Amino acid sequence: MAASKENPKTKNDVKASSKPKAAGKSTEKTVRKSAEKSAEKTTAKTVRKSEGKTAGKAVHKSEELIPAAPDREKKEKSSSSLSSYDNFYNRELSWLKFDARCLSEARDTKIVPLFERLKFLSITQSNLDEFFMVRVASLKNQVHVGYKGVDIAGMTAQMQLDALSTEIHEFVKEQYQTYNRALVPALMKAGLEVVRKHEALTEKQSAFLDRYFEDEIYPVLTPMALDSSRPFPLVRNRTLNIGALISAKSDGDKLAKKGKKHKTVQEFATVQVPSVLPRIVELPDAEDGHKVVILLEEVIKRYIGVLFQHFDVECACTYRIMRNADIEFDEDEAEDLLLEIQKQLKKRQRGEVIRLEIEESVDKRLLKVLKQELEIGESDIYYIPGPLDLTFCMKMYGLPGFDEFKEPRYTPAPVPAFAGAKSVFDAIRERDILVHHPYMSFDPVVDFVRQAAKDPDVLAIKQTLYRVSGNSPIIAALAQAAESGKQVMVLVELKARFDEEHNIAWAKMLEKAGCHVIYGLLGLKVHSKITMVIRREEDGIRRYVHLGTGNYNDSTAKLYTDLGLFTCDDAIGLDATAVFNMLSGYSEPDRWYKLMVAPIWLKNDFLRLIRRESMNAAAGKPAFIRAKMNSLCDPVIIEALYEASQAGVEIDLLVRGICCLKAGKEGVSDHIRVRSIVGNFLEHSRIFHFHNDGSDEVFMGSADWMPRNLDKRVEIVFPVEQEDLKAEVIRILTTEFEDNVKAHVLMPDGSYEKIDKRGKTLVNSQEIFMKEAWERVPKPKKVTEERLFTPAEPAESADDDEE
Amino acid sequence: MAVTTFAAIDIGSYYVAIEVFELSRKGGLKSLNRIRQNLETGRDTYALHKITMARLNELTRILNDFKQIMKEYGVSDYRACAKSAIREADNRYLVVDHIYRATGIRVDVLSNSEQRFLGYKSIASRGAEFQTFIEKGTAIVDVGGGSIQVSLFDKDALVATQNILLGSLKIRERLAFLEHETIHYDKLVDELIRKDLINFKRMYLKNRKIENIILVGDYFTNLIFQNRNDLNKTASRETFMKWYEHVVNCPLREVADELGIPSDLSTVLIPIAVLYRQLIETLEAETIWLPGIQLTDGIAYDYGERNKIIRSSHDFEKDILQAARNISRRYASNKAHNEALIASADAIFDVVKKSSHLTPRDKLLLRVACYLHDCGKYISLVNVAECSYNIIMSTEIIGLSERERRIIANVVRYNTQELGYYRQMGANSELGTEDYMLVAQLVAIMRMANCLDQSYLQKIEELRVIKKDSELILSVAANGDFTLERGVFRENVDFFEEIFNLKPVLKMKSRR
Repeated sequence: MAASKENPKTKNDVKASSKPKAAGKSTEKTVRKSAEKSAEKTTAKTVRKSEGKTAGKAVHKSEELIPAAPDREKKEKSSSSLSSYDNFYNRELSWLKFDARCLSEARDTKIVPLFERLKFLSITQSNLDEFFMVRVASLKNQVHVGYKGVDIAGMTAQMQLDALSTEIHEFVKEQYQTYNRALVPALMKAGLEVVRKHEALTEKQSAFLDRYFEDEIYPVLTPMALDSSRPFPLVRNRTLNIGALISAKSDGDKLAKKGKKHKTVQEFATVQVPSVLPRIVELPDAEDGHKVVILLEEVIKRYIGVLFQHFDVECACTYRIMRNADIEFDEDEAEDLLLEIQKQLKKRQRGEVIRLEIEESVDKRLLKVLKQELEIGESDIYYIPGPLDLTFCMKMYGLPGFDEFKEPRYTPAPVPAFAGAKSVFDAIRERDILVHHPYMSFDPVVDFVRQAAKDPDVLAIKQTLYRVSGNSPIIAALAQAAESGKQVMVLVELKARFDEEHNIAWAKMLEKAGCHVIYGLLGLKVHSKITMVIRREEDGIRRYVHLGTGNYNDSTAKLYTDLGLFTCDDAIGLDATAVFNMLSGYSEPDRWYKLMVAPIWLKNDFLRLIRRESMNAAAGKPAFIRAKMNSLCDPVIIEALYEASQAGVEIDLLVRGICCLKAGKEGVSDHIRVRSIVGNFLEHSRIFHFHNDGSDEVFMGSADWMPRNLDKRVEIVFPVEQEDLKAEVIRILTTEFEDNVKAHVLMPDGSYEKIDKRGKTLVNSQEIFMKEAWERVPKPKKVTEERLFTPAEPAESADDDEE
Repeated sequence: MAVTTFAAIDIGSYYVAIEVFELSRKGGLKSLNRIRQNLETGRDTYALHKITMARLNELTRILNDFKQIMKEYGVSDYRACAKSAIREADNRYLVVDHIYRATGIRVDVLSNSEQRFLGYKSIASRGAEFQTFIEKGTAIVDVGGGSIQVSLFDKDALVATQNILLGSLKIRERLAFLEHETIHYDKLVDELIRKDLINFKRMYLKNRKIENIILVGDYFTNLIFQNRNDLNKTASRETFMKWYEHVVNCPLREVADELGIPSDLSTVLIPIAVLYRQLIETLEAETIWLPGIQLTDGIAYDYGERNKIIRSSHDFEKDILQAARNISRRYASNKAHNEALIASADAIFDVVKKSSHLTPRDKLLLRVACYLHDCGKYISLVNVAECSYNIIMSTEIIGLSERERRIIANVVRYNTQELGYYRQMGANSELGTEDYMLVAQLVAIMRMANCLDQSYLQKIEELRVIKKDSELILSVAANGDFTLERGVFRENVDFFEEIFNLKPVLKMKSRR
């Protein structure tokens, strides 16, 4: 791994006392605070707040001002070997390995159908974009303010940036090798030709594009030039742009001459590739059953001269920038969270440029202008040997036809437990119900809220929302409930990254409908997924609760694997009530009956469960832990797992994304095995299974084993207690551990390898779950023919009924 | 199954709480939701003697939020109770009125004894556990922000109860100006409260052995030996002392963090810890029981009992009578006379109650008045009525409201003093018309009963009381010369007749 283990010295501790007393301007304070917050995310222990608050004025100069994370340093010195930096992977590099696993799916010619590979390639791009905007941005913030703390693996922010730059450059190279060498030729073979250079068009195609440009594209283009009277235009984050060097024409054009004394002077001009138009333009003149497409930017480049009619275009190339999108502000000082977030979102558009992607063939002069104006260093420039922004591959996937190159579209199966029930409440009252998405339909979750909205016996509905779909039926049902006079309380997390604007709009809409809307909590993100319906029934008040591992988003529920539990268990109802009380700003409860709740309690609860297994193992009893999550990087949990491993606990982990734990390291984690499933659906559920000396305990929830989930978010982890459901969750977990098609195994050297399938029965867990979900749907009863004399009906009408 | 959804609201010295309950004959009392919002109303009262507008506005905001919660659960009835922070505020009536106008919520300002009785009821709701505890010498210590109440039980009966003005918040406010002058704040608190507890011990404990302490009160009480999964807990004295050492020796902020207490309330921790320690040491208790209940439990339990939804396994009236007996003993009353008086009063009451709409609760008040009717003799033989009145008004009897205490005190006072017409009593009367009528009825009964043992010699062997037309016939079989009694009886006939429209007639039965 590229991560160097150079240990930054702790002389910062000495310097800490010499920091200036007075706080700087409030903006500096905010920058500083946000940098520290970013640092907290990556370091094992946080910098004490009191130290942060006395930040000096010359923040950007004083590298020594911020001490390295002291607790971590102390720990390192005193340390048992378990907390040593050597026992952890850097989280950013580990994340990159996850994207590499996605890329490996795009390269898999044996199992993954061609168009699915396109999808994976697109995913690697959007993943990487987000990674830059948040994680790389955060590291850059730390470097800017001179933060010298080290992360879980002992790396400073600068060390991480250097390592990432090297790795990402290599990664991008692989992305484009995949696109250029594997996918484009394969697509061509499959009947989809991508015209890579506009010069290669046929006459008919050229004629088509002439019209298309004139009618559709030209009206929405806004070319902008840079000269002494006009500042460098705002280049929006993640947009595709075409930069050009232009010079006034020498043919004596008056208009051009008027503004320019020196005809040979080149000016920079730029035009945004409009996002309102489809990126893929289908061309005529294709052979039968084939399609020819060209990318929109190629079309614009072809007609670039039209945009600058009085100038000569000397060179033009596509470029794209990534800005720092890490929204950080001092929540303590924010009077109105909603307004503050709106303000920050505007600022995001002008954040620091942290990455420039540009065509490999860029003209040096053009590059120089961009480098200068965007203030970007060479290591942050990515020369792209192909079309920029590979997310267009997803659009390509969506082109009609080519079905033989795609996985068959899966329709989620109905949930058997709800079949035949008069209402969702009747079904839940019978017994707890487990739902496994996307194998099972998300409809019961929507129906839960919908029916509650209409049910006259329902008194109140409470729900937390983190990310919802564009036209969410859940939001509509909540609004309807409020309008019909029910008490509706909704916590809309405004700080859900990249969904901020979306959520602000929902929050306002719900408020207008009469819901009591809470915009999240200061200093914490509410990530829990919980809905509670309070219903008056004959024998008293009953609380129906849905708890999930995934968002209340009917769109992503078709793509993400998640689990949910419907219950009216009284103790869970009480705990759910307490959660909503806390979210409403009331004090925390005196006790929790069944739920484990972050930030205050969850980590300790997990540690208690892990340590119980250690004690059982130490006592010679069988002990094991099996857990599935998206990411694992909490140092305290990892150390507890190492201790458990040393005590003899067998630990199997399914970690889809970041994993800072080292698996199978001798003397440290000999009994720990880590796998990662990257399949057609995004593995998203969190399941925790503790053997507990034979009395298995199974939990599910919204939290990963990450510091941010355990310390900085409101998360809920809930037990699955009903025996049949517990067995079902254990079976789901077992099947996933048996997956040998989509699983990657974390090796002791930090690499991930696919399982050798030779001689083994192929187990693709996602396929198994899809099949099983439909097998469990009760078959419609056979209609026995009744020997009755009934009047004959016209055949058409019977057919209509069938439809 | 008939189910009632009820909300209990507790306006305390440093928090406001609501608890929503479900009550049913089958399921008893079931808590649905419990919410606490920190608000230091006590800080205003104990420092400024009034609730400030800012605090009041915050209080009404919280209560309006609570109304939403009541709607969420379809609450059909509620009771909101305020304690010492409002009770002791000079502007209490304004506060209660403001709350009503701003929220529509009517707040009952509980007297200390009412408040403690509710707390006591909530512990008793624990049934067998409570009964087992109080078989041995047990003290219920109810700690609030304004005061603490210590009630002593022995052999299943309440033997003494005393309010001591040493609430946690009050101590903090009293010592606030000295807090920064010493690093031994706990010692300061110790000195302040020691003398009151020593006095309590001297007066009530004597040779009584108190083995158990039941700690109830607010949520601070429940934080001791913090274990969120076990609110109903029992601990030894040693365990408590370890906790105490931890609290007084660790930085306050650290302890507050551990216990999950907001930092602005952390300063109450030391007064509370010292108070508990002093109590445990003074009472020499070995076991501490924290049943984890709060006032809201008591409010709901009381509501359920009054509305005949739940039935208590503990006889609370017995406690009230026992407390009255103990007070009468303390003031050297004649036990035999009291018992004779009560027997006669009961007999008369039972006959007149129907036509006069007297309730069983009125009978209890009459009995308590009988026990205490001459306690003032202990102070002055000349001015018995006034002295008895004053003793009763300044002695707490757990289970009786302030109004009820006032009724009893007036019954006792007018047992020997002339009771004028309501109009004659004028504006000085502390009784409303309804209470005046009740007092008059009980006085008439008591006077009649009292004259039947005027000589304090318990001459009556048998008494039968019947109503015949417009006469109340008292047939007495006496074992001695009944001349004195007969004479005094005649003096009281008119008053009784005027009150009940029944002419008392005394008939002597011949002895067999």
